[in-house]
Amino acid sequence: MTPFILMYGIYLMLFGPVSPGGGFQGGVVLASGVILVLVTHGRTKVKKLTNHVESFDTIGTSLILLFGILGILIGGSFFVNLTPYRMTSLVFLDIVVGIKVFAGVVVLSVFFFEQGVDPC
Amino acid sequence: MKENVFKRVFTALLVVFICLMFLTGMNLGHEDKSDSPLTEFYLENYEETGAINLVEAILFDFRGYDTFGELLVLYIAIAGIIILGKEIIKPKDEGGEGS
Repeated sequence: MTPFILMYGIYLMLFGPVSPGGGFQGGVVLASGVILVLVTHGRTKVKKLTNHVESFDTIGTSLILLFGILGILIGGSFFVNLTPYRMTSLVFLDIVVGIKVFAGVVVLSVFFFEQGVDPC
Repeated sequence: MKENVFKRVFTALLVVFICLMFLTGMNLGHEDKSDSPLTEFYLENYEETGAINLVEAILFDFRGYDTFGELLVLYIAIAGIIILGKEIIKPKDEGGEGS
């Protein structure tokens, strides 16, 4: 079941500008796939993946910041994060946002999952 | 006696506050904003962004700076939760009673 969810999440993320979806929604759907595995198979199965997911969150945010500043340098006007082809900047932003949201939600869910059976 | 008077007043205030928030939320979205200049601006030149999905165009392109702020808020919130959470959990590892 999970690969389908993940695939759908990636689709949502990549086809943001074209069809309904986009960065945030794609990221959350991806995270739901991982959470499904987390809940069914318990923490050990997802251990390998999640211990370095936190860095994705940070990298994602800093990337967007860089992209914005880059936009200023190239675009000239304030925080216009435009690379030459305007469409690619949109898709790139989509992907980075998706990864960031994905990492954030996964980290959060793993954290709360670790509270043991009765999260007191 | 003084203790639960304060408590009762506080809960009453809280309830009133929540109801007010709910009411404002209810009648916020009913004004007819379809002819505001902003919407026209968006509708006219959103093709320029090359995005077919208008919502995405606005979210990432016209309103890119707001989304950036949103992302920052999201990031800080998650970082805060994890850091504080780890603080709270620590007593449990040392045998203390975790909150």
